[in-house]
Amino acid sequence: MNFELLFQLLVNGLIVGMLYGIVAMCFVLIYKSTQVVNFAQGEFVVLGAWVCWASVMYMGLPFIPAFLFSLAFMTLFGIMVQMVVLRPLIGEPVISVIMATIGLSIFLQALMNWVFGNNAERFPNVFGEGTVSVAGLNVETAYLVSLVLSVIVMAVFFWFFKKSRWGLAMRATAFNQQIAQSLGISVRQVFALAWAISALVSGIAGVVLGLVNAVSNSLAFIGIKVFPAVIVGGLDSIVGGVVGGIIIGVLENLAEFVDGQYLQIGNLFKVAPFYVLIVILMIRPYGLFGTKDIERV
Amino acid sequence: MTKLRRFLLAGAACLIAAPALAEDKILVGHLVDYTGPTSFVGKHYGPGVSDAIKYINANGGIGGTLIELDSVDYAYKVPEAIRLYKGWKSDGMVMMHGWGTADTEALISFVAKDEVPVISASYSAHLTDPTGKAPTTQKPAPYNFFYGPSYSDACRALVQWAAEDAKAKGIAEPVFVHTGDNHPYPNAPKEACAEYATEVGLKVAPPVVVPLSPGDFKAQCLTIKETGANYVYMGNLGGSVVSLLKSCATVGVDATYMGNPWAGDHLSIEAAEAEGVIFPSATPFYGQDVPGMALVKEIVAQGDGIGEERPTHHYIRGICSAFFMKEAMEWAKDNGGITGENIKKGMYAKQDWVPQGMEGVCLPSTWTPDDHRGQMTVAINKGSYTDGEVVIERIAETTLPRRDDWLGR
Amino acid sequence: MAHLPYPRPTGDFRVTYESDMVLFRTLFAHRWALALAAVALVLPLVANDALLSQMIMIGIFAIAALGLNVLVGYTGQISLGHAAFFGFGAFSSAWLHTQTSIPVLLTIPLAGLMTTAVGMVFGIPAARLKGLYLAIATLASQFILEDFFARADWFTGGPYGALADSPMLFGFALDSDSRYFYLVLFWLVLSYFAVANLVRTRDGRAFIAVRDHYLSAEIMGINLTKYRVLSFGISSFFAGIGGALYGHYLGFVTGEAFNILLSIQFLAMIIIGGLGSITGPILGTVFVLLLPQAMEFLASGLALLVPGIGQGVAYIKEMSIGAAIMLFLIFEPDGLIHRWRLMRTSWKLFPFSH
Repeated sequence: MNFELLFQLLVNGLIVGMLYGIVAMCFVLIYKSTQVVNFAQGEFVVLGAWVCWASVMYMGLPFIPAFLFSLAFMTLFGIMVQMVVLRPLIGEPVISVIMATIGLSIFLQALMNWVFGNNAERFPNVFGEGTVSVAGLNVETAYLVSLVLSVIVMAVFFWFFKKSRWGLAMRATAFNQQIAQSLGISVRQVFALAWAISALVSGIAGVVLGLVNAVSNSLAFIGIKVFPAVIVGGLDSIVGGVVGGIIIGVLENLAEFVDGQYLQIGNLFKVAPFYVLIVILMIRPYGLFGTKDIERV
Repeated sequence: MTKLRRFLLAGAACLIAAPALAEDKILVGHLVDYTGPTSFVGKHYGPGVSDAIKYINANGGIGGTLIELDSVDYAYKVPEAIRLYKGWKSDGMVMMHGWGTADTEALISFVAKDEVPVISASYSAHLTDPTGKAPTTQKPAPYNFFYGPSYSDACRALVQWAAEDAKAKGIAEPVFVHTGDNHPYPNAPKEACAEYATEVGLKVAPPVVVPLSPGDFKAQCLTIKETGANYVYMGNLGGSVVSLLKSCATVGVDATYMGNPWAGDHLSIEAAEAEGVIFPSATPFYGQDVPGMALVKEIVAQGDGIGEERPTHHYIRGICSAFFMKEAMEWAKDNGGITGENIKKGMYAKQDWVPQGMEGVCLPSTWTPDDHRGQMTVAINKGSYTDGEVVIERIAETTLPRRDDWLGR
Repeated sequence: MAHLPYPRPTGDFRVTYESDMVLFRTLFAHRWALALAAVALVLPLVANDALLSQMIMIGIFAIAALGLNVLVGYTGQISLGHAAFFGFGAFSSAWLHTQTSIPVLLTIPLAGLMTTAVGMVFGIPAARLKGLYLAIATLASQFILEDFFARADWFTGGPYGALADSPMLFGFALDSDSRYFYLVLFWLVLSYFAVANLVRTRDGRAFIAVRDHYLSAEIMGINLTKYRVLSFGISSFFAGIGGALYGHYLGFVTGEAFNILLSIQFLAMIIIGGLGSITGPILGTVFVLLLPQAMEFLASGLALLVPGIGQGVAYIKEMSIGAAIMLFLIFEPDGLIHRWRLMRTSWKLFPFSH
C-alpha cells in the first residue's frame, strides 16, 4: 500500500472538498430559508466565473474590480431569479419547484454555451506562477486563497445568522414562515436575500474554480456533486453542508486511490459518491444529519 | 386519443419539407460537432471539409455535377448521428463525411448494408479491415475510409519514438501510460498501442481514466505520477488535454506528453502553456512552403469557415478528406456514375495517390479492397509554448511496416 | 399535484357501475377514436419518411412518458432516472436477442419485464423516501445505471454500444419506417389503454390515494411500500418497452443517449402535457419533441433579419426546452391538457362561455 500517494490524495480531497462544501452551503442556504432545491446551483457557479472572466478579457478590468463586479452581478442575478422564476411557484408542490430550477439550469447552460462559447478559457495569471506545497502535495495558490476566503465567508455567515437583524429574520422564516410573517418579517425580502447571498457565494466559488481549472461550462458538474454532499451533511444544516462537501471530496479521492491501485476499472471516483448516497438514504431516509420532520394530520 | 392524432397531424403538416434533388446534384451528408464535447477541434475540421467542397463546387464540381453538402451539427451524440444518417439515406445520399469514433463505429453495419462510403474524422483502427479477415475484427467495415494514420498506428509511431528517445536520454526502464475517457474514441488505440509499447521495450502501466470534459485532474495526475510514467499518451482532446497538462504540471509529473492526432495543435498547447508536447500529424502546417499550400490558402480565402483564425492541421486534414472524395467521385463518374459502390471503387483506383493540386499537402495514400489503412507514415511533431508563442517543429517521420497482425486493431 | 377530476357536465349522471367505468364517455368520442385509428393505419401509405420517423419517435417517447406519468402523476413520486430505465430496456432487448435469438417482437415485452425488475430494485430505497430525498435518490440511480452501461461490456457492449436488429414478422423485416410505425402504434395504443384502465382499478385508485395524502392512504390500509415499489415497477415497464422500441428502431444502442438530460425531458413531457392525465403526456411528448424543430425553423427565419442568430440555433433549441419547462410551471401548471379542456369547454358553451 502506497501511503504517500494515499496521503496526497486525501489532502487533495480535503482541498477540493472544501469548494464542494462552499457550494453545498449555498445550496443549503436556499433550501433552508425558501424550501427550494436549486438544481441550477452549478450554473450559478459557472456564471460567476464567466462574468468575471468576461470583464477581465472584454471590459479590460483588472482582476479585483472584475471580481467585485461579478459578485455584484451575481447578487442581482440571484434576486432576479427568485423574483421571476420562483416567486410565482411559492406553495406549489416539490416537483414543480424542482422542475423549475432544472429548467433554469438547462436554459442557463445553453445560454452560457452560446454567449461564452464552449471552450475552456483561462484567466490571465492572477496569483503569479502559483503552486504551493501543502504537506508534500503541490496545490494551486488560487485554491489556498479560496480556502482563506471560504473561512472568511463562513465566519461572516456565522455572524450574520447569530447577530444581524436580517440573519435572525432568515432563521425565523426558516423555522416557520407564518409565524415569521406575523412578527412583521417580510418573507419576500428574506427569500430574495437568501437567493442573493447564495448566488454571490456561488460566484466566489466559480471564480476560484475558474482560476484553477480555466472557465468552462463543464464546471457546472459541481452542482451535481452537491447532492451527495448535502445528503451526507443534512439538507438543513449549513455547517453540515460544508462537512458533507469535504467528506465527498475525500471520498472521491479515496475512490480514485482504490481504483487506480487495485481495481483498475476507471472512473470509480465519479460514481462512488452516488453509491454512498443510496446507502445512506437506505439507512437514514433523512440524510445523516438531517432532521426528521414529523407530520401531524 | 382524439386530440393526440389531430395534434400530430397539425404538427406534422409543417414538417413536410424534404428538398427535392435536382438532377445535376448529389447529396453528401456531413456530420459536424460545433457545439458538443469535441467542438474544440470540430470547429476546425468541419469547415475544412465544407470550405473545400465549396471550392470544388465553385470550380465545376465533379465534372459538372454539384455536391450538395448538408452539414449538420450533431453535438457528438450517437443517436442523433444515426437519425441524421437515416434521414439522408432516404433523401438519396451517395456518401457521407463522418466525425466521431462512437458514431462512425455505430454506423459501420448501416453504411455497409446501404453501400454508402464514409470518410470519417475518426481514425479508429477498427475501421481499417474491410473484409473482416483479421481475427480481432468484430464488424468488417467495407465502406469506411479516413485520411491519415489510424489512432493505433499513430500511437505505435509515438511509442517507437518514445523507445528511441528513452534510449537517447538514458532512461533504463521507461514507463508508458495511456490516459483518456472510457469512450470509444480514447479507447480505440488502448490495447493495440500498449501491446506494441511492450514490444519495443517500454513498461506499460495500467491506463488512467481521465474525463473528456475539462476539470481538475490532480487526483488522476497523482495516480499517473505514482506509476512513474515517462511517456503519457493522451487520448482525449481540447479542454481535457489542457486541464490534464495543467494539473499534472501542478502536482509535478515529470513525463513527456504524447497526444493523438486531435490532442495536439497550436491552440491547446497555447492554452496549456505546455512545453514539449509530442503529437502526430498527417499534413504540413498552415503556411509551410509546399506546392499545394497555395490552393489551401485559396480555399481558406474563399471559404466561410473559420474567419481570421490561423487554420490548424485539423482544417487541412478536412480539406484532404474532401479532395480524396472528389477524385474518387470523378473516377466514379467516368466509370458508370456517382454511386456509393462506384465511389468506393474510385478510392481503390490509384496507388500512392495525392489529389491534384494538393501536392505536398496531402500525403500519398493507398486503399485496397482488403486493407483500408490509407497511410503508414506518421509525422511526429513537438510543440512548445515559449515567450507567448507556440513553436512547432517536426522531430521525426516514421513509416511503420504494414503488418498483417495490425490490420483492424 | 392533487388534481381534481375534470368535472362532468350537468346532466351526465352515471347511474350504473358500467356507465361509470365506460372508456369513451360519449358516442362522439368513440367515433373520433375509431376515425383516428383509421387515419393512423393509412398514414404510412401517404406520409413521407421525415414525417413518419418523427411520428415513430413521438410514439416511442410517449410510451415511456405514459409510464412516468403513472409514477409521477398518479402516485406522486418523483423520478429523475427514467432515462436510465428507458436505456436499460433498450439494452435488455438487444442483449436478449443476440444472446438467445428470441425474436425481437418477443424480446420487447421481455425487456419491459426485465426493466420492471430493475425499476423495482431501485424503487425499494425510494419507497421509504419522499419529496426531495426521493428526487436525489433517483438522480443517483440515474448516474449508477449510466456508469453500469459504460462498464458492463457483456451486457451493453460497454462504451461501444450494441447492435439491435430489426424485428421480423412472418419473414418480413420491420426495417422501414412505414413498417416500424405499425409496431410502435400497436404498443402505443396498448400502453394507452393499459394506463387508462390501470387508474380505474383497485391498484390505480390506491396510487391516487398515496399521491393525494400518503398518511391518510396508509390509515385507510394501503400498504405504502408495496404501492410505491409497484408504481416504480409499472413505470419502468413502459420505460423498458419504449427503450426496446427505440433501440430496435435506431438499430444501435449506446449508453450515452440515456443521460440525465433525457430524464429531464421525460419529466418535461408529462409536466407540459399535464400531470395525472392520460392523454396529457402524449400531448407533452409531441410538444417537447417538436419544440426544438419549431425553434430551429423560427431561428433560421430570424437569422435572415438578425445575423448572429444563425450560429446560435443549436443553443436556442436547448434553451427553448428549459424555458418551456419554466413557463409552463409558472403560467400553466396543469399542462396542455388543461388548456385543451378549457378551449373545448368554451367552444361547447359558445356563445355563452363566461
